[in-house]
Order: sequence, then structure tokens, then C-alpha cells
Amino acid sequence: MLSEIPIGSLVPLTGPSAVDGREFRNGVLMACEEINAKGGVLGQELHPHFEDTGRQTPEEVVAAANRLIEHKHVHAIINGYNIGPQNAEYEPIADAGIIYIHHNTLLQHHDTVLSDPERYFGCFMGNPAEYWYGRGFLKFLSALRERSAWRPHNNRLAIISGSKPYSIVIAKAMASSARTFGWDVAFGPEIVQTPRSDWRDVIARATATDPAVIANTHFYAGDLAHFQSQFMEAPSNSLVYLQYGAMHRSFSELAQENAIGVVVSAVTSLLRDEMGRAFSRRYLERFGPHSTPQVGCQCYNAVQHYALAVAAAGGSGAPGQHTTNRRVAQSLKDITWRGVSGATHYHEQWQTAVSYPDQSNDPSLGMPHLFFQVQSLDRGLALIAPEPYDVDPFIQPPWFTS
Amino acid sequence: MQTPAKTDLFSGLDKAPVGLAIWGATGDLIYANEPFRMLLPTEASIEMDQPYRDFLQAFLVQYGASMAHDLTGAPLSTDTISGKSCIWEQLLADGRTIEVHQTVAEDGGVTLTTHDVSNRKKIEFELRRARDAAETSDEVKSRFLRAANHDLRQPLATLKILIYSCLTELDHEHRQDLLHTMDMSVAIMEDLLGALLQIGQLDAGQIEPRVTIFQMSQIFERLEVQFEHQARTKGLEVRFRGHRYTASTDRALLERIVTNLVANAIRYTDTGRVVVGCRPFGDRLRIEVWDTGRGIGDEHLSRIFDEFYQVPDLVHTRRAGLGLGLNIVSRLAELLGIPVSVSSKPGSGTVFRLTVPAGDVWHSQANEPEISESLGGEFVGLNVVLIEDDPVLRDSMCALLERWGIVVLPAASMAETDRLLDATPVIPDLVIADFSLRGEFGTMAGQRLRERYGASLPVLIVTAEIDPEVVSGIRQQGFPVLIKPVSPPRLRVMMHNLLFENLGEQRGNADAF
Repeated sequence: MLSEIPIGSLVPLTGPSAVDGREFRNGVLMACEEINAKGGVLGQELHPHFEDTGRQTPEEVVAAANRLIEHKHVHAIINGYNIGPQNAEYEPIADAGIIYIHHNTLLQHHDTVLSDPERYFGCFMGNPAEYWYGRGFLKFLSALRERSAWRPHNNRLAIISGSKPYSIVIAKAMASSARTFGWDVAFGPEIVQTPRSDWRDVIARATATDPAVIANTHFYAGDLAHFQSQFMEAPSNSLVYLQYGAMHRSFSELAQENAIGVVVSAVTSLLRDEMGRAFSRRYLERFGPHSTPQVGCQCYNAVQHYALAVAAAGGSGAPGQHTTNRRVAQSLKDITWRGVSGATHYHEQWQTAVSYPDQSNDPSLGMPHLFFQVQSLDRGLALIAPEPYDVDPFIQPPWFTS
Repeated sequence: MQTPAKTDLFSGLDKAPVGLAIWGATGDLIYANEPFRMLLPTEASIEMDQPYRDFLQAFLVQYGASMAHDLTGAPLSTDTISGKSCIWEQLLADGRTIEVHQTVAEDGGVTLTTHDVSNRKKIEFELRRARDAAETSDEVKSRFLRAANHDLRQPLATLKILIYSCLTELDHEHRQDLLHTMDMSVAIMEDLLGALLQIGQLDAGQIEPRVTIFQMSQIFERLEVQFEHQARTKGLEVRFRGHRYTASTDRALLERIVTNLVANAIRYTDTGRVVVGCRPFGDRLRIEVWDTGRGIGDEHLSRIFDEFYQVPDLVHTRRAGLGLGLNIVSRLAELLGIPVSVSSKPGSGTVFRLTVPAGDVWHSQANEPEISESLGGEFVGLNVVLIEDDPVLRDSMCALLERWGIVVLPAASMAETDRLLDATPVIPDLVIADFSLRGEFGTMAGQRLRERYGASLPVLIVTAEIDPEVVSGIRQQGFPVLIKPVSPPRLRVMMHNLLFENLGEQRGNADAF
């Protein structure tokens, strides 16, 4: 038996997603360090190897996966997201028969795995698909309305989408579920080319429809900061929802006071309970005050879950050792892991974390889709939904006129 | 003193599977084996050593006797058991049933034997239950057939006449009228069969509620589609209000209830409107179905939920009901524990009210839980023209694209593409064309379609040619290229870029993967 288990990670350490990439790397590192400090997995230490995926094109990501498999002989690849390869990296990973846990947050994972479950036995998505953002958002809006935490002046939605598949799927899911929850799509989904810093035209056309809600499903923190600042030049009485990127500290730093009141959500993030707070403290101590444990927690969870599954399966397999890795894959599905982001409970067929409350009504069997609001620039994001994880109330955005 | 042989005998009798006790002519107990003694509860005041008559009385008081009869089969009451040879059954405290045989000798001595018949009784019970269920089912079936026979005859007879008339009718307009009436007769038969089936299921106890949390819109949107045409034909307006509320009950059964109420409302309303509304009512939801119909007199209100009851004044409606709809409503509502009330004013209209438990919107099981790219992917609903002359490749590419939720227009040649597009108002969002099309080229097809739909129409050429000159020639004509065999991820990336990333004139220069 080897004295260590090599683990690979496909991380964008340069390029447009480098801010997130660093946190993904941190999460993997911290989990490996903590597990090794306690004696490793069945006496073996986890040894992480990182490959930069840069602009995350299919070529870059596939080449990085090949390097990890051929040169480092990794038993598993665990990372955050790579937005460009459209599952192209599944092919060398499936050929090698190793475990792959990513957080690409893409619905296409379901279809790829279902298209050949035998071949893609080791491919897992550690968080729910982006599709659930759409429906979850509508439930959130409806719950705010039903509980009178917010009284919208009408039921109109304006939906703006970035041009990446992730943004388009979320925007379409919002639009297709809107009527079911009593909302009317008055604008969009309008797909605009991204990256983008000038949003004035689309904001003007959206606000002209007098919407109660404006949702922007683009996800680059900097671009969203421009969006919000430009919206605030002539704000309408609309609740503003911005996709994942607004979770970043850099969003608030760029948008400053304009950011206060914005709602943002994540189908995987860090809970504010005792476990989550303790993780956050350790993470900030380890990687500095400007690091973001809310992002690093994804990979941290996935490595912890993988280590447990390897132990339960009796060991991990190098490339080519399909049988051993099939046992690990089965253990990942059999063992529901309560980590710092809530429960990771893999769907038996899709091999993706089930979402709470979008898919499952049981918080012990679903990864919480958390809703945050920027309520101050120094206290971090307020966690406003869903129960039982919410710790702060929703506040009326300051730009509302009544 | 017992002889050793007697001791052996008694010891053997203690192992016997039956209880045995013998009283002599004087009423004194001579012998009781172990199984018999074990029947008697330890706390009961039944002394074995008392005279038989007293023992029997205490025994019967403790357990009672059922199905007692003498050896000729004549029934016996508890009082008459004493002094006769007879058999009876007794249910013991532990749930067992024993059969007791009392044999009275000529000299007055009595022998009691007991047999455990619990298993036999259990089997008898199961058989009886199965027989009852079969009889009920039989009865339900007979009632169903009687009702079906009675009510189907009329529209069937009408249909027969209409078909005959239709066969010989030459006037187009009149023929259309006849066909319309036939359509109505068929609709009546459908209603009837549907209603009878529901009643049958309710009678047979086959409907089990399955409570979920859902949005009222999930019911209202279906009913809007179902009733819009019917109402419009009658010149009525049907409105649904309160889509946004969340209910917690059996969705399918609630839909059946509301469907029956709306169908009734439309049937008995000649002018005006039918309004279905849902709103919060304390911690519950109130669903109301209002109509501006003829209304129901007070004297009928208490009977409208009865099976086959029809309000006399309304029977002459052109398409009168069967008297089953409201019965179904009431029985389903009872099954779900939903209170139903009705108020009506003849000449003004009627309102039915249901009160259902409200649900938490966070837990609403809205829409399709088994989500896939064909329902929620980025390409859902896009129209793609696929020109490929190889039928196997065309089929497999179609399957792939459809898995992504794309509406595919497949063709084998340019001529077939033209025919296909001439026959549809659909405007393609993207064209995927094979380069070599038996004497034609995909690039020619692409040019022609761009002339027809505009120069910005994205066209993607796939080819098995690996000659760099051919590939570069295709690109020079302004088309991106994918080399066969086409990898799904690469096709997806290329399609995404062509459709959503604003590459403008760069479209023709996209890389070949």
C-alpha cells in the first residue's frame, strides 16, 4: 500500500476565475492538512496536486486532467468549478476510472452521467445543478411575500442573463417557474453578452417595465458591482437579486454603499452554525483575512466526504483500478455527509448533491440553497433564508421609496 | 394410590396436543391433564377441584361460549350447556380460539376435551373477508354496468342515427352540424364513463389520498386549458384567481373536485361568468367556485350531493349532467377531510366553497422533479435544422440534440430542407449541415438558408474531411467547422458560442475542434 493517496485538483489559478480558484485550492489544502494531522485515511496521507486551468477552455481543462492522471497518478480529482469545458474533462477521467468531484453547478452533469452510468460511475457533482437557483429563487420571493416580510407593488419580474450556459439555464428556469408561483415575467430573460461593465441600456429597458424584482443571473463579481452601481443611478422600486458573484467580498468593496440591500444566493455555501463558524475561524487563520471561507468550504467538504468514503470502501484506486474506485463511488452515495455547508446527499442516479428545499423538504438530506443579503459593508452577508439555517431577517432595500 | 402404569398414562396425556379433564358421576374431578390446566388463567377464581357444575359455571362466566351446539348440530344457549353432550367454541384472553367437546356419560360423569382451532378460525376469517370483498366488488360492478347501460344507450342511439345521416348527407354545412352533434355525443359518453369510473373506484375503496404541498397554479393552469374552449363556445367567461397560494392536500383529487364543480358551473350557466378563486382563510385556503347560472332552490340544496340526484328544473338543459358530479365532489372531499358548502339564489347563481389546508411555499413540490437538460437546459426550445444524408448519423445526431431539448428539423438534402421549411412557419435558430451531401455541399445549403433567413443565421458545418485545405476552404466561406466524429461537449461549446456569445463576424472563424 502507498504511504499516500495522491489527489488532483483542476483549479483556475490564473484568468477570470482566479479569485475563486485560490479559494478552491485553499479548501482542498485545508481538508488534506486536517485529515493528515489526524493520521490520514487508513494510515495514508492525502497528497494534493494542483493544475491551473487558466481560462477554463475545454483544451486547458482536459490537458490539466490528463497531466494529473498520467504524471501524478491521482486517485481522485476534487475541485470547485471550471465553467468552460462542458464536461469534456469527464472523458479522460472516465477512461482512468478514478473519482471526480466537482462543483460545476451544471445541469448537463445529470445528462452526461445518465447517458452512460457505467462509464461515468466516478463522476460526482458536489453541489446541486444551477437549475435549482431558478426555482429556489421563486420560492424565496414567494415566501417573503407570503410572510409579509416584503410587500411587492406588483408581481412583475425582470430577468437579465449573462451569456454563459450557467446564467442562461438559471434565467430560463426562473422564467419557466415564475407563473407557477404567481409571478409574471415582464422583461426577459434578456441574454446580454458578458463580461460586461456597461449595463445602463439593459437596466433602463428593464426598469421601464416597472418590475417588483430585477434578477441578474450573470456571476462575475466585478461586472455585478458595475450593474448595481449603475442601477443605483436611477433605482426603481425593485428588489435586486444578483447571482453568485455578489457573494464575494470584492463585490461589496467595488459597489460600496450601493451594494446594501442586494440579495444573492448560493446552492452551496457556508452555514452560520457552530460548525460553520469554527471552520471559518480556522480558514481565516490559515489563509488570511482576505480569504473567503464561503467559497473554500465546497472543496473542503468534498475532500472530507471522499476521505470518509475511501475509509469505508477499504482504500482508494489509482488510474486503472476501476473496481476499487467503484467501491469508493458507492460509499459516496451510501454515506450522507453533514459538513460545514449542510448535508451532501448524492442522488442515486444523477450523482449530484440533492438541494434543500428546492428538491428535498428534509434539511438532513439536502444541501441548503442559502439566501443572503448585503446589509452592511463590514459585517459580511446576512443569512436570511431558508429555515432552519437563517439567522438574520430580510431588510427593505434602502433605495425603496416606501 | 395410583399404579405405576396409571402414572405413565397420565404423564403421556400431559404431552398430548389436546386438553382433557374427567369428572366422575358424583361431580368430583378425577383427572385434568397439563394442557387443560394451562387454559385456565392463574388469576381467575376457577378451582379445578370444585364440583363440575360449579366449575362449568365459573368457566363460562370467565370466557362465555359461542357457537355452542349439541351433537346433532342443534344450537345451545350457555344456560343449556350443562348436562348435555355438546360442542362449543371459546375465545381465550390470549386471542386463541378453542373448541370444547363436552361428553356426558350415562352415569352422569363428564369428560371435557379442548382443541386449539385458532389457525382454522384465522383462515375462515380471511376467507370470509375475501368473499365479502368479492361480493362488494361484484355489486359495484353490477351497479356500474347498470348505470353505464342506462346512460350510454341514449348518446349511443343518437350517434348511430347521426352516423347514418352523415353518410347520406351531401350538404357540407349540414354535414358539419351533424359532425358537431356527434362530437357532443361522444363528449357526453366520455363524461359518463369518466364519472362512473370515479364512482366505481370510490365504491371499491381504491382511492388513497397522497398529500403533497403544491401551488394552486398547478391545478388552475390545467383547468384554464380544459375549460376555456367549452366556456367560450357558450359565450361565458371563466376566470381563475389566486394561482400563487400553496396548498397541502392530494393534488390530483382536489383537481377532480374543482373540475367537477367548474364543469357543473359551466353546464348550468347560460350567460355571464364562472369565477374560481383561492385566498387565505386563517391558516387554511378557501377555494370558491362562483357562477351566474340559474341557481338552486333551497328545497334541493340538501340533496344535490346525492348519487344520481338531478335538480328537476335543470334536467332539461341541452347537455344535462348525470347527477354524479356533485356526488363525486362530496365523496372525494370527505376522503380528503375538506369541508364543502354551497349557497345559491335561484336566478342569480351558485357558489361552492372548499376549505383546504395551506402549505409552506418553501416545501412546494412544484413542476417536474426529474429535471433534465431536455426540460431545463440552455438550448431548450431552440429550432435547429440538421442536414445529414447518412440516416444513421442523422438519427443519432437528432437523438443527441433532442436530449438537449432542441426541436430538430432533420433533412437529407437541400431539396428536403426547402420542403420542410416551406411547410412550417418555424424560423431556425441554427443550422448544422454535413459538408458532403451526395453532389451537394453543406456550405451551399448554409448560404441558401442565410439568404432566406438573414446573414446572421448561425450555420455549423460538420465533415469527415481532414484535408486541411478543404477545412480551411469551408472556413473561408464563413462557416465554423467540426470534424467527425463529433464529440458532444465540443458540439455543445460550438453551438453555445454561435448562439449566445456575440461573436459577430468572427462566427466564420471559430476554431475547428
